[in-house]
Amino acid sequence: MARQQKTCAICESGVHVVDFKDERLLGRFLTERGKILPSRLSGTCARHQRQLSTAIKRARQMALLPYIKGFAG
Amino acid sequence: MSRTYEAVYIFDSALEETAITEKLDRFHALLPQPAEAAVALTTWGKRTLAYPIAGKETGYYVIAKFEAEATSLPEFERALKLDEGLLRHLVVLDEGAQMAPTPSAKDGEDED
Repeated sequence: MARQQKTCAICESGVHVVDFKDERLLGRFLTERGKILPSRLSGTCARHQRQLSTAIKRARQMALLPYIKGFAG
Repeated sequence: MSRTYEAVYIFDSALEETAITEKLDRFHALLPQPAEAAVALTTWGKRTLAYPIAGKETGYYVIAKFEAEATSLPEFERALKLDEGLLRHLVVLDEGAQMAPTPSAKDGEDED
């Protein structure tokens, strides 16, 4: 069965390089637990998905994004 | 060959701003800048951390952009690691700057 074609939200917004300091943009590509959303669900193109995954990992290192959301203890 | 780097520092929010600027000056003294350029600093100020670091819930964020030779970085990062008031740091290549000098082949039909 053919999957519905989705367009890359980052390409559409005209962003060339994903910035790891832009946590509001990155937050849109996380699950509610804080995992990176796969491109098959978000529809991001391969280039931006690669940039996103690096940016999200850097943002986690710098405590801009949590490693796990909603984890108590 | 010198390249543009971007550094993000998270300082202990208990530190005073004068102490932070003094530390930043000390760090950046290890990176000789070309005559016309200076280290570009952006201060985000006190922010809540996404998770506690060293038992602290807030940190003082500063972002710096600078030109540096790759050979001068190990000494710079050693100074960052030894600093007690610095909770965490990250030094990466400035990706935006990297993209700038490589315009596409079909440059003539650009919108801007």
